Order: sequence, then C-alpha cells, then structure tokens
Amino acid sequence: MAKDPRVTRIEDLPGPKSKGEMDEMKMPYEEYCKKLFDVGNEHTKPIALKGIRWLSCTMYIFTPHSVANLAELGAEVIKIEMPRMGDAMRHTSPFNECYLYPLHDTRPMTGTGLGFTNANPNKYFLTMDYHIPEMVDIFYGLVKKSDGLTELYRPGTLDKWKMSYRYLSEINPRFIYVWGGGFGYGPKIFGGSYDILGQAHAGLASITGMHEFMGGHATKCTNWVIDWQSGNLITCSILAAIHHRRKTGLGTMIEFSQVQVPTRMLGHTLPMYGKFGIVRQRWGNWDTQLAAHGIILCGKSDFPDADNPQDQFCARYVMVSAFQDQDFAELCAITGNKGLLDKYKAHKDRVEGEAQVEIYAALESWAADKSRSEVAKILQDAGILAEPVRNDREVYESPHYRERGTVRWLDDPLFGDMLLHAGYSCGLMEKTPRRINWHWRPVGADNKKIYRDLLGIPLTQIQEWYDKAWI
Amino acid sequence: MCDIIWCKKEVGGKDCDTINYLDPYCFWDWEGTINCAECKTVYYIHMIKGFMFKGPEERPGEEPDTSPLYADKPFDGYSNYRDGIEGRTRPYQCKPRSWLTGVADMVKFSIRGRPVRGWRPQPPSAGLAGSFGFNWDIQKLTPEVWEEYQQKLAAGEVKDW
Amino acid sequence: MAEKKDVEINSRADTIGLMDMDVRPYPVTPPPSYEEVKPTYEKRKALEFCDWAEDSFKFEKRYGKDESLGHLRVLDIGLWRLGHKFCASLFGEAGAEVVSVEPPGGDPLRQLTPFGREEYLLENQETGEKCGMEFVCETVNTHCVTLDVETPEGQEIFTQMAKNVDVLIDGMPPGYMDGLGIGYRQLKAANPKMVYIWVGMLGQWGPWKDKQSKFGQWELEPFASCANSWVHNTGLAQDLLPRGKGGDPTRSGVWLADYVAGAQGFLNACAALYWRDELGNDGQMIEVTGAETLMDIIDFDITWYGFNASIKGRSGGWDPNLNQYAWNPCKDGYMMIGGQTDKLWYNIGFCLENDYDMFGRLIHEDPFLKEMGARNALHALIKTYTLTTRWLRDTNRVEAETKLMAYQLAAGPLLYIDEVAEFPHFKYRPWQYVHETDYGPLLIASSPASYQLYAPFRAKWVGRDLGFDNYEIFLKWTGMTQIKVNELMAKGVI
Repeated sequence: MAKDPRVTRIEDLPGPKSKGEMDEMKMPYEEYCKKLFDVGNEHTKPIALKGIRWLSCTMYIFTPHSVANLAELGAEVIKIEMPRMGDAMRHTSPFNECYLYPLHDTRPMTGTGLGFTNANPNKYFLTMDYHIPEMVDIFYGLVKKSDGLTELYRPGTLDKWKMSYRYLSEINPRFIYVWGGGFGYGPKIFGGSYDILGQAHAGLASITGMHEFMGGHATKCTNWVIDWQSGNLITCSILAAIHHRRKTGLGTMIEFSQVQVPTRMLGHTLPMYGKFGIVRQRWGNWDTQLAAHGIILCGKSDFPDADNPQDQFCARYVMVSAFQDQDFAELCAITGNKGLLDKYKAHKDRVEGEAQVEIYAALESWAADKSRSEVAKILQDAGILAEPVRNDREVYESPHYRERGTVRWLDDPLFGDMLLHAGYSCGLMEKTPRRINWHWRPVGADNKKIYRDLLGIPLTQIQEWYDKAWI
Repeated sequence: MCDIIWCKKEVGGKDCDTINYLDPYCFWDWEGTINCAECKTVYYIHMIKGFMFKGPEERPGEEPDTSPLYADKPFDGYSNYRDGIEGRTRPYQCKPRSWLTGVADMVKFSIRGRPVRGWRPQPPSAGLAGSFGFNWDIQKLTPEVWEEYQQKLAAGEVKDW
Repeated sequence: MAEKKDVEINSRADTIGLMDMDVRPYPVTPPPSYEEVKPTYEKRKALEFCDWAEDSFKFEKRYGKDESLGHLRVLDIGLWRLGHKFCASLFGEAGAEVVSVEPPGGDPLRQLTPFGREEYLLENQETGEKCGMEFVCETVNTHCVTLDVETPEGQEIFTQMAKNVDVLIDGMPPGYMDGLGIGYRQLKAANPKMVYIWVGMLGQWGPWKDKQSKFGQWELEPFASCANSWVHNTGLAQDLLPRGKGGDPTRSGVWLADYVAGAQGFLNACAALYWRDELGNDGQMIEVTGAETLMDIIDFDITWYGFNASIKGRSGGWDPNLNQYAWNPCKDGYMMIGGQTDKLWYNIGFCLENDYDMFGRLIHEDPFLKEMGARNALHALIKTYTLTTRWLRDTNRVEAETKLMAYQLAAGPLLYIDEVAEFPHFKYRPWQYVHETDYGPLLIASSPASYQLYAPFRAKWVGRDLGFDNYEIFLKWTGMTQIKVNELMAKGVI
C-alpha cells in the first residue's frame, strides 16, 4: 500500500488496470459472457467443493442425483452398491435396447442400461454388503473421513444396522446425514418412493395434460422429473447445511420426501383451493393466466420424408406467445383474424376459458395448411415470439447448445464415445465450472482405490472379502 | 382398453382363439368396428369408461374402423401379432426409431462413428475385486473393433458431430 | 361450527367469500393422531427410530430452530418469471435477508390471475392492495422495494445496494443490467465477493439466447421446455389418442423449467459461496437457464440419440424403461401402479387375478414376459396395461390402493388438489398448511426442506405489497432516510 500521498499507483485508481481489463469492459456483453464461461476449458479451473467427500448409499434417480450435483461441483463422491448386482437402475433401459458393457466381469451378458445416465457422473464405485457386521466397521472408517451421506432405505433399516444418524454422529459430529424417500414420518412412512407416484399423488398430474372436454387425459411428464428435481432440492439442503456447519461445527440430519416436492411447485393451485374452493384442472397446451400463449398444431410436419417417425410425423408444433396487447393485435392481423382482435381487445377478455378455445381454434385453422417452420417464420417475421417445439435430434444439432457446451461428446474413460447433455451447463460458473469426468463406472470399479488407498486394507483382505461376496 | 376380444370364430375346423387387446386410452370411450388380427372377422363394439357396453357383435362384410395394436394366441405359446402389420394390426408410429427390436442393440460406434462399448460380451478386464482403471484399451481387448475403427477413419466416416 | 345460511348465487362474484378459510376451515377432517400412526411404526419394528425421527423433524418445531443462511444478503431483480423468484424464495426459506427490486409500477406477475378473473386476486388485509396468487406464493420471506433502474439515480442506489450483498440474482433480459451500467462487470469491482446469478430461459448468449418480441414482450415458460425437447417428449402418442385431441406433445401444467432453474441457481450459488467462504476466494458469475437445467434432468434422452439415433417419442402415462410403472384410467380417475422387479411383477399378478383371473393367466403364462428387461418392449407394455386397465375399470382408487398395498406394491391414486390437501399423511406431516399471511389465512405448500434436525427451511411471510420495505431497506442498506425516499418516490425513481 502506497504511503507517500504524492505517489499515485494505478492499482489504487478506479476502473480497468490493464488493456485486457479495458477490453473486457468494452466488449459486447454477449461476447463477454462467452469469454467468461470459457466453454471447453473447465478442467483447468478450480473446484467449488474441493475437500468435500460424500457417501452415496443410494439407488435409482432421486437420491443418486442429489449427490451427482455435488460430484459435478467437484466433491469426491463414493457410491456404495451391493456386490455383483449394483444399483437396480443399471437394469433399466428404454424399450430394453440400450446398454453399455461391462457391468461386472462375472456377468458378461448384462450391461448397464441408459436409465443409469446422469445420476452417477464422476462418482467412485464401491461394493459393500452392509448386512455383514464386519463391513459396518469398515463403513465407520469411511464415515470418519467424509462430510456426509445420502441414503434411501426404509426408515429404521440403517438404524438396525447401527448406521443411522444417531450412531454416525457419535463417530463424526460434523456428519451431515440425508434420508431421501417417498413420504417421511407419518402413516405412509414405509410407502415406496417413485417419481411417478410423486407426479400422481401430489397434484402435478391433475393439472398436466389435455383438457377433458377434448378427450384428453392426465399426462405423465416425459422424464422422472420429480426424482430429479427432488434430488436438486436435496442438494440445496445439503449445501445450506454445509454452510450452517461452518457456524455450529455440527452436522445434521435431513429427512426429505420426494412425493412432497410437486406440491411445492404448483404455483397458485393451493391458495386458490384454500381460499376459493376451486380445484385446478388440466388446461392442455394453453396457459390459465396468459393468452395467447400456447402450443398449436400445424398442418404439416417439417420432415415428411424423414426416416425417423418423430421427425416424419411429429415435427408439427409451434409455441406461440402474444399476450401483450400489441403482440396480440399483430398476431390477429398476420393470421387474418381481425374479428378476434375486435372481440378480445383486452387481455382480461382473451384469457377467459371460452375465449381461449376460440382463439386457438382460429390459430390452428390458420396453420392447418402450413408446415411448422412456415408458421414459425411468418410469426417471427411479424415480430411475434414463436418457436418450433424441438425434438432430441434438433437439440443435438442446435448451434446454441453446441456453442454453450450444453450438448457435447464425452470420451468416457471406460465406455467410449457418449453424448452428454447439460452436465456442464446446468449452471455455468465463471471461476469454478462444473465438469463431467465420466458417465459412470462398472460395479465395484474403485474397490481397490478406496479399500486399499483410502482405508488401508491389505490386498489379500480385499480379495478374501471379494471371494466371500462381502464386497 | 381396458378389455380384450377373445375371438372364438371357427376357422378351418378349429377356434381362432386369438386375444385382441383393446389398448387403454384409445378404447376408453370408443364406438365402432374392429377386426380380429388373426381371422379378420369384424366386430362392432361400444366402450364406455372401459366397459364393453355393447358387443362384440359380428359385422360380416363390413370394413373395420380400426385394428388392435397387439394380439396373441394363448394356445399357441403366445405367438403374436405386433403393431403395424397390414390388415391385422394398426401401426404405432410414435416410436423413437422406425423399428424397435425389444432386445439390446449391439452398438459399436456412436452416431458420429467413434467406438462406444455397447456390445456384449466384453472380454474380462477387471483387476482386484472388480476394479477398473481410467482407460479403455480397445486395441488390446477387442482388436477387431479397433481395426474396424481404423478403416472408418480412413474412409472419412468419423466426424466431429 | 358450520351454520346454515341462505345464499343466492347469480354470478361468480357471489361465490367469493363462501369458501374462505374462516368460513370453511381447513382441514375438513382432522389429521390422524399419533396413536393412530403408532401401529404402523410398530408393525415394522421401528417404533423407537420413528419416534426419534418425529421428534427430530416435526414440522411444527421449525420456527424454534436456527436458520442456515441467516448470514447472507441477497438482492434479486427480475420480472414476469418464476425462475429468479424461486431461487430467491429458497434463500429466503433458508433464512437469508432477501430483497427484491421491482420497478415502481411493479412486477407484471402481480397482475396475473387465473383466467384473468380479478375476483381471484388476493387483497392485503391492512392496505387493500391486490396481488395475484402466483406472485404471492412465490414471494417467500422476501422484502419488496421499488426502484427505477433506468434512471441515473436508480442506478446509483442499486450500485450502493449491490456493494454489500453476497448474492445478486438477475432475472432480466440478457445484457439489460450491463447496458445500464449495473451488471456483473461493473459491480464486481466494488464487490469482488459477490456471487452474481443470471436466471433465464435460454441464455445470456448464444444463437437462441433470451429474446423479446418486436413490442418488448418477454419469453416465458414453456418456451424453455419447448426448446430442449421436453415438450416434444411429453404426452400421449397419436396412436393412442387422435392428434389434436390429446395425442400431442404436451406442456407441463406449471412453469416447470423455472422451478428447475431456480433450484440449480440456488445450489450453484451455495457452492460458489462455499468456495468463497470456506476456501478463501472471491465471488463469480453464474448463469442458469430453464432450458439447460431441465435438459440436465431429461433422463438420458439426448444421450440416447448419440447412441443409435433414437429420438424419444411420447409415451403418455407409461414409461419405456420400466414395466409396470404407469398410471391408467380407473373407475373414478387414474391409478398409478409400480412394480418392476420379478417379485413385484408377480405380486401385481397375484393381486389382480383375485378379481380378474384372465390377468394372471395371460400375463404369467406368456414366456416373453418372464424376463424383466423384455417387459419393456412396446408390445409388452400394451398388453400389460390393457389387462391392468381391464381390472382398474372395475375398481376405484381407494379400493385399488388398499388391494395393491396388501401385496406390498407401490400404488397411488392420482389426486386432485382438494384430495391432496385432505390426504391423511399429507396432513400429519404437512405438505400444505394454513399460514396467516398479510392476505389473510392462506393454504400454502410447505418447503420440502422443512424436516431437519437443526436448521429447517420455513416460510415466514408469503407475498408482500409493492415497495412495502422501501423505508426499512433503503435505510439499512444505503442510509437513505425517509425524506429522501419520499422525494425519490415523487420523482418516480422509487
């Protein structure tokens, strides 16, 4: 720090300190962001959760994903699976068609299905049978070295094996223990925990899908959305608990119900029922609070000669949004629906139920002789927000996701060329970027690394346990 | 949906004995004629909330409005007719590819032409207690696939995207 | 105590007030008592553990416990959407001091109400100010101030506020804040410890970055879920229902991508704060988008394309990876049944064949269905669910659940919100509860992170009048006293 007031150092002046900084301040914002996130160079940058070690006694999607977030942020995550079998999710694959091999050398005809993707990147894979009391002692050794664990067993199960929070917090008071399951304490405490149950049981399914009056049905989301989002929310709780631990020096236990999560995401549904007694219904591809703001069917697919049926038959939908007055006026003009504009000048008028039925029927009638891209282009050229509903291939080919590194190829260390989606960019971070090292590994792939290197178990002992199928 | 038509029409001296499955959602509330996937007999049905309110009544000579998506024969070891067979079952178009096999697809190369470990069996390569390293020595473990990859490279079939 | 009243209903307006929480109290039937639940714990020989769990996590104890992020200061600015708001709510639920900046005219989201019906706007009991339910329930533990950041004075004030925040959530269009001189690269010099999160739909940069219409209209959900194949992959096949009448790609009933982006925003920010505080570093910029955070959790769909050029299609209420794992129509709605492993698969058969023996026969005899993986073939799904629904058409949801659970199967009815609110378990361990808000008692959803030993998440207040906290926040955060606040209000800066 300069002491002599006659001396002015550039470091003490406001503003950029170098040409580089000045360029940074002046460059167009978009370019600045692109430079900041430096897609492709993530591995050389610092790790956000450096030093955190987490145990994953998990299966399926919900609890594994909660720790996959940690692993992508740089924590060392050890996944513990049953010997030879592995996580049940390894045995799921769409239409039974897509597997990667090997799962384990002793089962050469069994692979790990694509259902296992995205919930287990970067993890180290250990096998351990905790029914064996000797293994529980080894487990304690892991607990002493870790910051926490996530588990999904029926309540009381790990307690019986002396592995519950009550026991582990004695060994490691800083331990953060997370139970993720279907329901939590209460009459349905032992109920199974499925994403589809969450969607059905907690109200999300009742408001998703085409309207009853047109013959529609309650519709399941394409993905195990509640498993995944609950996993995200568990990660939120874990990180908050890690921060709290800096103050108290203590870990904690978190009981997290997956089936509960959709209820928290229902927006105005609950207050509307509580105060007005109205039970919200499905409203299809439209919006109950905005009009026009919906997905319309166009007359023709964009790729009628494609080989893949998704391209050939289903590339026919456009999301159209013109709820502000000027936009709606333009929409009516460009689609030859001046009458609609006269009838529904105010937003309040056009968002009513019957009005929406009329408006979307008119739009689809206008689109009935056009292809998806024709519809989108006409509307976009008129300055209205309209975008085609895109499929997986279009996502793959999208320049946007490629530039941002959202869709990228991963040379998986054991399985080869696999496509990644959004592992890096479900949170672009300037200084501590998320990163994916591998999709997953075979059952017990890191037994030697963890048992010998981390826990100091002799190689002969490891072999003995393996032969006995304790690991 | 919700229901089945067990076709008992006598054909060539024995009963047809084919189960035509009326798939859920489509037939939940439905009225019209449908053919048996095996003997093509046309039946009229009227389904309300999954119940067979009327039918199946034979409608000889009529053209069917639709066909089942699937049919099988319990007395024939469950041989079956899957979707999309002309004259028997209606097509199912909303598929991820134009054909589905229902068995593991032995993929050796990704869509951009680089090796991916999607086929079985893989030669054993684990170390102690199932341990693996961090590389796939494809050249050593499956040299024929490595060869194939070299040829693809030479032929310019391997792309960045 | 219910009393009879003479009521004349000639319009929707006449129904308002008839169902209020003080007229029709919640819950309609009381939750089960501990004595009624205890046998469930005992049956599985886990009474001691479950008692400990109840004692440790009881929802009603949350206010007595500490907050995990009470040491953080969060500033949030955005309009229209739920993404940045959900992110801010999570910080608020964890105890942070969260301040949300709106223009003097307010966030347009305040005006949104179902079907445009003004009678469904909530009214502040003290001030009479009205606000839409969507805005109210996603403004949790958040202070609301007004500031016109398009004025030089507004920018100056914002800059001062940003100097001492830990987290700044930016939900404005790409480059908007930067263009006004109050973006990340301008603010970070004065506050290098700040974690700046941009929450949007598609991105601050890139060919598909967030855009506006020619007239300045914003892109709102479901644009994000349409751009990442989520909508394309959701819905019933055109082979099961006619296209245009249900056999179409379908959006979620809620603005789904916003919630996912908000959650990822929070967790990435907390990781950044960990790197900052525990490991002794600075702040940074984070960008989360609805499209990408939702794509991250779209199962394996894009990976599948890279594997063998498969483009996922719609599978309605079914799942192509597991059988049984679906819901189908039943006598009084829809019923979900799950059971993939052999044990569960055969249990389903044993249960259903009690009433419909054809199920057991046609399913269990079929050699193709013996292998677990093979059951995922398309024709196997069609066969299985046809027969299951044949059983379901005769069964209502309560019956189905009782029968299936007797065979230890995961089965659940599809519930509407009134049923969700009255479901015994969801009352015992409250999924929703009555919170006394400034708008009167409201039924709101509890935070799923409210069941913790030490620092549960919780809602303290829900919804806030426009600019309600102007005086308090401008005083505490910038030293601005009321005379100056009033002056700036008159000028339209605040």
